[in-house]
Amino acid sequence: MTGQAFFVLTALADGPRHGYGIVGEVAELSQGRVNLKIGSLYGVLERLAAEGLIEPDREEAHDGRLRRYYRLTGDGQSALAQEAALRAAIVRVARARLGRLAAEAGG
Amino acid sequence: MSGDLERRYRRVLRLLPGWYREQWEQDMVAAYMDSWLTGDAYTDACVLEYCKPGGAEVASVAGLAVRLHLAGPGTPRRYAWGQALRRAVLAVLLVHAVLAVDVLVFLVQSRRLVGWLPASSVSLLTAASGGAWARVYCLVCVAWMVIFVMQALGRYRAALVLAVLAIVPGLVALLQAQRTGVMPAPFGPWVFWVLIDLAPVLVMTTFGRDARPAAPRPWLLALPAGYLLVYAPLLALQATGNIAWLPDFSGLCCLLVSLACLMHAPRVWSRRVTGTGSWSLTLVVLAAAAGAYRIFSLTDYLNDPHLIAVSLAEVLILLAAVALVAIDAARAQAATPYPHALTG
Repeated sequence: MTGQAFFVLTALADGPRHGYGIVGEVAELSQGRVNLKIGSLYGVLERLAAEGLIEPDREEAHDGRLRRYYRLTGDGQSALAQEAALRAAIVRVARARLGRLAAEAGG
Repeated sequence: MSGDLERRYRRVLRLLPGWYREQWEQDMVAAYMDSWLTGDAYTDACVLEYCKPGGAEVASVAGLAVRLHLAGPGTPRRYAWGQALRRAVLAVLLVHAVLAVDVLVFLVQSRRLVGWLPASSVSLLTAASGGAWARVYCLVCVAWMVIFVMQALGRYRAALVLAVLAIVPGLVALLQAQRTGVMPAPFGPWVFWVLIDLAPVLVMTTFGRDARPAAPRPWLLALPAGYLLVYAPLLALQATGNIAWLPDFSGLCCLLVSLACLMHAPRVWSRRVTGTGSWSLTLVVLAAAAGAYRIFSLTDYLNDPHLIAVSLAEVLILLAAVALVAIDAARAQAATPYPHALTG
Protein backbone atom coordinates (compact mmCIF):
# COMPACT_ATOMS: atom_id res chain seq x y z
CA MET A 1 0.00 0.00 0.00
CA THR A 2 1.37 3.42 -0.92
CA GLY A 3 1.88 6.11 1.70
CA GLN A 4 -0.86 8.25 0.16
CA ALA A 5 -3.37 5.38 0.21
CA PHE A 6 -2.50 4.69 3.87
CA PHE A 7 -3.12 8.34 4.76
CA VAL A 8 -6.44 8.44 2.88
CA LEU A 9 -7.71 5.25 4.54
CA THR A 10 -6.62 6.57 7.95
CA ALA A 11 -8.42 9.85 7.24
CA LEU A 12 -11.63 7.91 6.56
CA ALA A 13 -11.23 5.65 9.60
CA ASP A 14 -13.11 7.99 11.97
CA GLY A 15 -16.03 8.63 9.62
CA PRO A 16 -17.03 9.59 6.09
CA ARG A 17 -15.34 12.66 4.54
CA HIS A 18 -15.65 14.55 1.27
CA GLY A 19 -12.69 15.20 -1.08
CA TYR A 20 -11.38 18.41 0.46
CA GLY A 21 -12.09 17.07 3.95
CA ILE A 22 -9.71 14.19 3.18
CA VAL A 23 -7.03 16.61 1.92
CA GLY A 24 -7.27 18.60 5.16
CA GLU A 25 -7.24 15.52 7.39
CA VAL A 26 -4.22 14.05 5.56
CA ALA A 27 -2.34 17.35 5.99
CA GLU A 28 -3.17 17.32 9.71
CA LEU A 29 -2.25 13.63 10.18
CA SER A 30 1.09 14.16 8.43
CA GLN A 31 1.74 17.39 10.37
CA GLY A 32 1.72 19.34 7.12
CA ARG A 33 4.22 17.09 5.31
CA VAL A 34 1.69 15.60 2.85
CA ASN A 35 -0.34 18.14 0.90
CA LEU A 36 -2.36 16.12 -1.58
CA LYS A 37 -3.17 17.82 -4.85
CA ILE A 38 -6.69 17.16 -6.10
CA GLY A 39 -5.44 15.19 -9.12
CA SER A 40 -3.33 12.97 -6.85
CA LEU A 41 -6.19 12.53 -4.34
CA TYR A 42 -8.65 11.36 -6.98
CA GLY A 43 -6.05 9.00 -8.46
CA VAL A 44 -5.80 7.38 -5.02
CA LEU A 45 -9.58 7.43 -4.45
CA GLU A 46 -10.21 5.79 -7.82
CA ARG A 47 -7.77 2.98 -7.07
CA LEU A 48 -9.14 2.41 -3.57
CA ALA A 49 -12.69 2.35 -4.95
CA ALA A 50 -11.68 -0.08 -7.70
CA GLU A 51 -10.14 -2.36 -5.05
CA GLY A 52 -13.32 -2.14 -2.96
CA LEU A 53 -11.60 -0.49 0.01
CA ILE A 54 -13.80 2.65 -0.01
CA GLU A 55 -17.30 3.46 -1.27
CA PRO A 56 -19.52 6.51 -1.59
CA ASP A 57 -21.46 7.37 1.55
CA ARG A 58 -23.73 10.27 0.55
CA GLU A 59 -23.84 13.50 -1.45
CA GLU A 60 -24.52 16.94 0.02
CA ALA A 61 -25.12 20.24 -1.77
CA HIS A 62 -22.68 23.01 -0.84
CA ASP A 63 -22.40 26.37 -2.63
CA GLY A 64 -24.28 24.97 -5.60
CA ARG A 65 -22.00 21.95 -5.93
CA LEU A 66 -22.46 18.38 -4.81
CA ARG A 67 -19.91 17.11 -2.31
CA ARG A 68 -19.56 13.35 -2.35
CA TYR A 69 -18.62 11.74 0.95
CA TYR A 70 -16.59 8.51 1.08
CA ARG A 71 -16.39 5.83 3.75
CA LEU A 72 -14.30 2.75 4.44
CA THR A 73 -15.71 -0.63 3.46
CA GLY A 74 -15.17 -3.78 5.53
CA ASP A 75 -12.29 -4.72 3.21
CA GLY A 76 -10.91 -1.21 3.65
CA GLN A 77 -10.91 -1.59 7.44
CA SER A 78 -9.10 -4.94 7.17
CA ALA A 79 -6.53 -3.55 4.73
CA LEU A 80 -5.92 -0.53 6.96
CA ALA A 81 -5.58 -2.74 10.05
CA GLN A 82 -3.03 -4.98 8.29
CA GLU A 83 -1.04 -2.02 7.01
CA ALA A 84 -1.13 -0.28 10.41
CA ALA A 85 0.12 -3.47 12.12
CA LEU A 86 2.94 -3.77 9.58
CA ARG A 87 3.96 -0.14 9.99
CA ALA A 88 3.72 -0.39 13.80
CA ALA A 89 6.02 -3.43 13.75
CA ILE A 90 8.54 -1.51 11.61
CA VAL A 91 8.34 1.45 14.01
CA ARG A 92 9.04 -0.87 16.98
CA VAL A 93 12.11 -2.29 15.23
CA ALA A 94 13.33 1.18 14.24
CA ARG A 95 12.93 2.45 17.81
CA ALA A 96 14.74 -0.55 19.26
CA ARG A 97 17.63 -0.15 16.85
CA LEU A 98 17.84 3.59 17.42
CA GLY A 99 17.81 2.91 21.18
CA ARG A 100 20.75 0.52 20.79
CA LEU A 101 22.61 3.07 18.66
CA ALA A 102 22.01 5.76 21.26
CA ALA A 103 23.17 3.43 24.05
CA GLU A 104 26.36 2.55 22.13
CA ALA A 105 27.04 6.22 21.45
CA GLY A 106 26.43 7.07 25.14
CA GLY A 107 28.49 4.18 26.53
CA MET B 1 -20.73 30.24 -6.62
CA SER B 2 -18.67 29.69 -9.75
CA GLY B 3 -16.47 31.75 -12.03
CA ASP B 4 -13.37 31.85 -14.14
CA LEU B 5 -11.39 29.69 -11.71
CA GLU B 6 -13.86 26.82 -12.08
CA ARG B 7 -13.86 27.21 -15.86
CA ARG B 8 -10.04 27.14 -15.92
CA TYR B 9 -9.93 24.05 -13.72
CA ARG B 10 -12.51 22.25 -15.86
CA ARG B 11 -10.34 23.03 -18.86
CA VAL B 12 -7.40 21.27 -17.13
CA LEU B 13 -9.67 18.31 -16.36
CA ARG B 14 -10.25 17.84 -20.08
CA LEU B 15 -6.89 16.04 -20.05
CA LEU B 16 -8.65 13.15 -18.32
CA PRO B 17 -10.44 10.43 -20.32
CA GLY B 18 -14.16 11.05 -20.91
CA TRP B 19 -15.31 7.96 -19.02
CA TYR B 20 -13.32 9.11 -15.98
CA ARG B 21 -14.63 12.69 -16.08
CA GLU B 22 -18.17 11.41 -16.31
CA GLN B 23 -17.68 9.69 -12.98
CA TRP B 24 -15.36 12.01 -11.05
CA GLU B 25 -15.32 15.53 -12.56
CA GLN B 26 -18.08 17.12 -10.46
CA ASP B 27 -16.53 15.83 -7.27
CA MET B 28 -13.03 16.96 -8.28
CA VAL B 29 -14.32 20.44 -9.10
CA ALA B 30 -16.15 20.62 -5.75
CA ALA B 31 -13.03 19.57 -3.84
CA TYR B 32 -10.85 21.96 -5.84
CA MET B 33 -13.16 24.93 -5.25
CA ASP B 34 -13.36 24.04 -1.54
CA SER B 35 -9.57 24.30 -1.43
CA TRP B 36 -9.75 27.94 -2.60
CA LEU B 37 -12.88 29.48 -1.17
CA THR B 38 -12.66 31.19 2.21
CA GLY B 39 -16.29 32.16 2.92
CA ASP B 40 -15.45 35.85 2.70
CA ALA B 41 -17.46 37.28 -0.21
CA TYR B 42 -14.88 39.87 -1.37
CA THR B 43 -11.89 37.48 -1.15
CA ASP B 44 -13.82 34.71 -2.89
CA ALA B 45 -14.88 37.04 -5.70
CA CYS B 46 -11.21 37.98 -6.27
CA VAL B 47 -10.14 34.32 -6.12
CA LEU B 48 -12.78 33.26 -8.62
CA GLU B 49 -11.90 36.01 -11.02
CA TYR B 50 -8.09 36.15 -10.89
CA CYS B 51 -6.71 32.83 -9.60
CA LYS B 52 -5.86 29.90 -11.82
CA PRO B 53 -4.74 26.30 -11.24
CA GLY B 54 -1.07 26.16 -10.23
CA GLY B 55 1.64 24.11 -11.93
CA ALA B 56 1.62 21.39 -9.25
CA GLU B 57 -2.16 20.98 -9.54
CA VAL B 58 -1.99 20.79 -13.35
CA ALA B 59 0.89 18.29 -13.08
CA SER B 60 -1.11 16.07 -10.72
CA VAL B 61 -4.05 16.01 -13.16
CA ALA B 62 -1.69 15.42 -16.12
CA GLY B 63 -0.02 12.52 -14.28
CA LEU B 64 -3.40 10.98 -13.52
CA ALA B 65 -4.44 11.46 -17.16
CA VAL B 66 -1.34 9.70 -18.51
CA ARG B 67 -1.85 6.78 -16.14
CA LEU B 68 -5.54 6.46 -17.02
CA HIS B 69 -4.96 6.76 -20.76
CA LEU B 70 -2.21 4.15 -20.85
CA ALA B 71 -2.57 1.80 -17.92
CA GLY B 72 -5.57 2.61 -15.84
CA PRO B 73 -8.51 0.41 -15.05
CA GLY B 74 -12.01 1.69 -15.63
CA THR B 75 -12.98 0.29 -19.01
CA PRO B 76 -12.24 -3.04 -20.66
CA ARG B 77 -10.48 -1.16 -23.46
CA ARG B 78 -8.14 0.70 -21.08
CA TYR B 79 -7.51 -2.41 -19.04
CA ALA B 80 -6.64 -4.49 -22.09
CA TRP B 81 -4.28 -1.79 -23.35
CA GLY B 82 -2.68 -1.49 -19.92
CA GLN B 83 -1.98 -5.23 -19.81
CA ALA B 84 -0.73 -5.26 -23.40
CA LEU B 85 1.60 -2.32 -22.81
CA ARG B 86 3.03 -3.87 -19.64
CA ARG B 87 3.82 -7.06 -21.55
CA ALA B 88 5.15 -5.17 -24.57
CA VAL B 89 7.50 -3.19 -22.32
CA LEU B 90 8.69 -6.43 -20.73
CA ALA B 91 9.29 -7.87 -24.20
CA VAL B 92 11.39 -4.85 -25.23
CA LEU B 93 13.32 -5.08 -21.95
CA LEU B 94 13.86 -8.77 -22.74
CA VAL B 95 15.39 -7.74 -26.07
CA HIS B 96 17.69 -5.34 -24.20
CA ALA B 97 18.64 -8.07 -21.74
CA VAL B 98 19.38 -10.58 -24.52
CA LEU B 99 21.54 -7.99 -26.31
CA ALA B 100 23.30 -7.29 -23.00
CA VAL B 101 24.08 -10.98 -22.53
CA ASP B 102 25.35 -11.01 -26.13
CA VAL B 103 27.70 -8.08 -25.54
CA LEU B 104 29.01 -9.49 -22.27
CA VAL B 105 29.57 -12.97 -23.76
CA PHE B 106 31.32 -11.38 -26.74
CA LEU B 107 33.59 -9.33 -24.47
CA VAL B 108 34.42 -12.34 -22.32
CA GLN B 109 35.27 -14.42 -25.40
CA SER B 110 37.15 -11.78 -27.36
CA ARG B 111 39.32 -10.84 -24.38
CA ARG B 112 39.87 -14.46 -23.34
CA LEU B 113 38.58 -13.75 -19.83
CA VAL B 114 37.53 -17.41 -19.53
CA GLY B 115 40.27 -19.71 -20.78
CA TRP B 116 38.15 -22.62 -22.03
CA LEU B 117 35.83 -20.49 -24.23
CA PRO B 118 36.82 -20.07 -27.91
CA ALA B 119 38.30 -16.67 -28.76
CA SER B 120 36.22 -15.85 -31.81
CA SER B 121 32.53 -15.21 -31.64
CA VAL B 122 29.72 -13.52 -33.50
CA SER B 123 27.71 -10.66 -32.07
CA LEU B 124 24.70 -8.66 -33.19
CA LEU B 125 26.22 -5.51 -31.81
CA THR B 126 29.73 -4.16 -31.98
CA ALA B 127 31.11 -3.71 -28.49
CA ALA B 128 33.00 -0.51 -27.74
CA SER B 129 36.70 -1.04 -28.30
CA GLY B 130 38.12 0.26 -25.03
CA GLY B 131 38.50 3.13 -22.62
CA ALA B 132 35.85 4.81 -20.51
CA TRP B 133 33.06 4.28 -23.06
CA ALA B 134 33.65 0.50 -23.01
CA ARG B 135 33.26 0.47 -19.23
CA VAL B 136 30.07 2.58 -19.45
CA TYR B 137 28.80 0.25 -22.18
CA CYS B 138 29.35 -2.81 -19.97
CA LEU B 139 27.66 -1.09 -17.03
CA VAL B 140 24.65 -0.21 -19.20
CA CYS B 141 24.45 -3.85 -20.37
CA VAL B 142 24.43 -5.12 -16.79
CA ALA B 143 21.84 -2.43 -15.95
CA TRP B 144 19.46 -3.63 -18.70
CA MET B 145 19.57 -7.16 -17.32
CA VAL B 146 18.79 -5.86 -13.81
CA ILE B 147 16.00 -3.63 -15.18
CA PHE B 148 14.40 -6.58 -16.96
CA VAL B 149 14.52 -8.75 -13.82
CA MET B 150 13.12 -5.94 -11.65
CA GLN B 151 10.30 -5.24 -14.09
CA ALA B 152 9.44 -8.94 -14.28
CA LEU B 153 9.31 -9.07 -10.47
CA GLY B 154 7.01 -6.02 -10.31
CA ARG B 155 9.64 -3.61 -8.85
CA TYR B 156 8.42 -0.88 -11.19
CA ARG B 157 9.84 2.17 -9.45
CA ALA B 158 13.39 0.80 -9.11
CA ALA B 159 13.28 -0.48 -12.71
CA LEU B 160 12.17 2.95 -13.94
CA VAL B 161 14.94 4.83 -12.11
CA LEU B 162 17.60 2.47 -13.49
CA ALA B 163 16.09 2.59 -17.00
CA VAL B 164 16.18 6.40 -17.04
CA LEU B 165 19.89 6.21 -16.16
CA ALA B 166 20.53 3.44 -18.70
CA ILE B 167 19.24 5.37 -21.72
CA VAL B 168 21.35 8.46 -21.06
CA PRO B 169 24.75 7.10 -22.27
CA GLY B 170 23.14 6.02 -25.56
CA LEU B 171 21.75 9.52 -26.09
CA VAL B 172 25.11 11.13 -25.24
CA ALA B 173 26.91 8.79 -27.67
CA LEU B 174 24.40 9.61 -30.43
CA LEU B 175 24.70 13.36 -29.89
CA GLN B 176 28.49 13.07 -29.88
CA ALA B 177 28.46 11.01 -33.10
CA GLN B 178 26.08 13.50 -34.70
CA ARG B 179 28.28 16.42 -33.68
CA THR B 180 31.52 14.85 -34.89
CA GLY B 181 29.95 13.52 -38.11
CA VAL B 182 30.81 9.85 -37.47
CA MET B 183 27.19 8.61 -37.32
CA PRO B 184 27.19 5.23 -39.14
CA ALA B 185 23.70 5.80 -40.63
CA PRO B 186 21.45 8.87 -40.70
CA PHE B 187 18.33 7.61 -38.93
CA GLY B 188 18.69 3.98 -37.77
CA PRO B 189 20.54 4.67 -34.49
CA TRP B 190 18.09 7.44 -33.58
CA VAL B 191 15.09 5.25 -34.37
CA PHE B 192 16.61 2.51 -32.17
CA TRP B 193 17.09 4.96 -29.29
CA VAL B 194 13.58 6.45 -29.56
CA LEU B 195 11.66 3.18 -30.06
CA ILE B 196 13.72 0.65 -28.10
CA ASP B 197 15.23 2.88 -25.36
CA LEU B 198 13.02 5.93 -24.80
CA ALA B 199 9.51 4.66 -25.61
CA PRO B 200 9.51 1.79 -23.05
CA VAL B 201 10.82 4.16 -20.37
CA LEU B 202 8.00 6.62 -21.11
CA VAL B 203 5.44 3.83 -20.83
CA MET B 204 7.08 2.63 -17.61
CA THR B 205 6.42 6.04 -16.02
CA THR B 206 2.70 5.24 -16.19
CA PHE B 207 2.89 2.00 -14.17
CA GLY B 208 1.45 2.47 -10.71
CA ARG B 209 3.14 0.65 -7.82
CA ASP B 210 0.03 -1.48 -7.47
CA ALA B 211 -0.23 -2.34 -11.20
CA ARG B 212 -0.80 -6.07 -11.58
CA PRO B 213 2.62 -7.67 -12.25
CA ALA B 214 3.17 -10.31 -14.93
CA ALA B 215 3.90 -13.88 -13.85
CA PRO B 216 7.68 -13.54 -13.30
CA ARG B 217 8.84 -17.15 -13.79
CA PRO B 218 8.09 -17.51 -17.55
CA TRP B 219 9.59 -14.09 -18.23
CA LEU B 220 12.78 -14.88 -16.32
CA LEU B 221 13.10 -18.19 -18.18
CA ALA B 222 12.62 -16.27 -21.44
CA LEU B 223 16.04 -14.61 -21.00
CA PRO B 224 18.21 -17.72 -21.51
CA ALA B 225 15.64 -19.09 -23.98
CA GLY B 226 15.71 -15.84 -25.99
CA TYR B 227 19.50 -15.85 -26.05
CA LEU B 228 19.56 -19.42 -27.40
CA LEU B 229 16.74 -18.67 -29.89
CA VAL B 230 18.72 -15.82 -31.43
CA TYR B 231 22.28 -17.03 -31.12
CA ALA B 232 21.96 -20.72 -32.02
CA PRO B 233 20.90 -19.81 -35.62
CA LEU B 234 23.53 -17.07 -35.61
CA LEU B 235 26.29 -19.55 -34.80
CA ALA B 236 24.88 -21.98 -37.37
CA LEU B 237 25.01 -19.27 -40.06
CA GLN B 238 28.58 -18.48 -39.10
CA ALA B 239 29.64 -22.15 -39.08
CA THR B 240 28.15 -22.74 -42.54
CA GLY B 241 29.66 -19.56 -44.00
CA ASN B 242 26.23 -17.99 -44.57
CA ILE B 243 26.51 -15.05 -42.18
CA ALA B 244 25.46 -12.68 -45.02
CA TRP B 245 21.94 -14.14 -44.63
CA LEU B 246 21.68 -12.60 -41.17
CA PRO B 247 19.13 -9.75 -41.28
CA ASP B 248 20.00 -6.43 -39.65
CA PHE B 249 18.65 -5.75 -36.17
CA SER B 250 15.37 -4.13 -37.25
CA GLY B 251 14.80 -7.02 -39.68
CA LEU B 252 15.49 -9.50 -36.90
CA CYS B 253 12.91 -7.72 -34.71
CA CYS B 254 10.31 -8.06 -37.51
CA LEU B 255 11.08 -11.76 -37.95
CA LEU B 256 10.98 -12.50 -34.21
CA VAL B 257 7.61 -10.75 -33.78
CA SER B 258 6.32 -12.60 -36.87
CA LEU B 259 7.49 -15.88 -35.36
CA ALA B 260 5.74 -15.04 -32.07
CA CYS B 261 2.50 -14.26 -33.99
CA LEU B 262 2.73 -17.59 -35.86
CA MET B 263 3.26 -19.47 -32.60
CA HIS B 264 0.32 -17.67 -30.95
CA ALA B 265 -2.08 -17.98 -33.91
CA PRO B 266 -3.07 -21.66 -33.31
CA ARG B 267 -4.20 -20.72 -29.78
CA VAL B 268 -6.22 -17.81 -31.19
CA TRP B 269 -8.02 -19.99 -33.71
CA SER B 270 -8.53 -22.92 -31.36
CA ARG B 271 -12.04 -23.10 -29.89
CA ARG B 272 -10.73 -24.80 -26.76
CA VAL B 273 -8.41 -21.96 -25.66
CA THR B 274 -9.89 -18.75 -24.27
CA GLY B 275 -8.39 -15.50 -22.99
CA THR B 276 -5.83 -15.14 -25.78
CA GLY B 277 -6.85 -11.57 -26.68
CA SER B 278 -4.52 -9.81 -24.29
CA TRP B 279 -1.47 -11.56 -25.76
CA SER B 280 -2.76 -10.83 -29.27
CA LEU B 281 -2.96 -7.13 -28.39
CA THR B 282 0.59 -7.31 -26.99
CA LEU B 283 1.81 -8.79 -30.27
CA VAL B 284 0.02 -6.08 -32.27
CA VAL B 285 1.77 -3.41 -30.18
CA LEU B 286 5.16 -5.11 -30.69
CA ALA B 287 4.48 -5.52 -34.41
CA ALA B 288 3.69 -1.80 -34.69
CA ALA B 289 6.99 -0.95 -32.97
CA ALA B 290 9.01 -3.43 -35.06
CA GLY B 291 7.32 -2.27 -38.29
CA ALA B 292 7.97 1.39 -37.49
CA TYR B 293 11.60 0.60 -36.68
CA ARG B 294 11.97 -1.30 -39.97
CA ILE B 295 10.35 1.42 -42.08
CA PHE B 296 12.21 4.36 -40.52
CA SER B 297 15.57 2.57 -40.73
CA LEU B 298 14.96 1.95 -44.49
CA THR B 299 16.44 5.41 -45.02
CA ASP B 300 19.85 3.90 -44.20
CA TYR B 301 19.66 1.77 -47.38
CA LEU B 302 18.42 4.28 -49.93
CA ASN B 303 21.37 3.50 -52.23
CA ASP B 304 20.93 -0.28 -52.08
CA PRO B 305 17.82 -1.59 -53.94
CA HIS B 306 18.53 -5.18 -52.83
CA LEU B 307 18.43 -4.30 -49.12
CA ILE B 308 15.33 -2.15 -49.69
CA ALA B 309 13.61 -5.16 -51.28
CA VAL B 310 14.67 -7.44 -48.41
CA SER B 311 13.43 -4.90 -45.87
CA LEU B 312 10.05 -4.56 -47.59
CA ALA B 313 9.76 -8.36 -47.65
CA GLU B 314 10.34 -8.35 -43.88
CA VAL B 315 7.54 -5.79 -43.47
CA LEU B 316 5.18 -7.91 -45.60
CA ILE B 317 5.96 -11.03 -43.56
CA LEU B 318 5.28 -9.05 -40.39
CA LEU B 319 1.95 -7.73 -41.74
CA ALA B 320 0.83 -11.21 -42.80
CA ALA B 321 1.74 -12.69 -39.41
CA VAL B 322 0.12 -9.95 -37.36
CA ALA B 323 -3.08 -10.21 -39.43
CA LEU B 324 -3.55 -13.69 -37.92
CA VAL B 325 -3.97 -12.23 -34.41
CA ALA B 326 -5.33 -8.75 -35.17
CA ILE B 327 -9.04 -9.66 -34.98
CA ASP B 328 -8.52 -11.40 -31.65
CA ALA B 329 -6.69 -8.30 -30.39
CA ALA B 330 -9.61 -6.08 -31.40
CA ARG B 331 -12.07 -8.40 -29.64
CA ALA B 332 -9.93 -8.32 -26.46
CA GLN B 333 -10.63 -4.65 -25.97
CA ALA B 334 -14.28 -5.37 -25.34
CA ALA B 335 -13.93 -8.62 -23.47
CA THR B 336 -11.07 -8.38 -20.95
CA PRO B 337 -12.34 -8.52 -17.36
CA TYR B 338 -11.37 -5.50 -15.28
CA PRO B 339 -11.70 -4.25 -11.72
CA HIS B 340 -14.95 -2.39 -11.19
CA ALA B 341 -14.65 1.33 -10.64
CA LEU B 342 -16.78 3.39 -8.30
CA THR B 343 -20.48 3.30 -8.92
CA GLY B 344 -23.13 5.29 -7.14
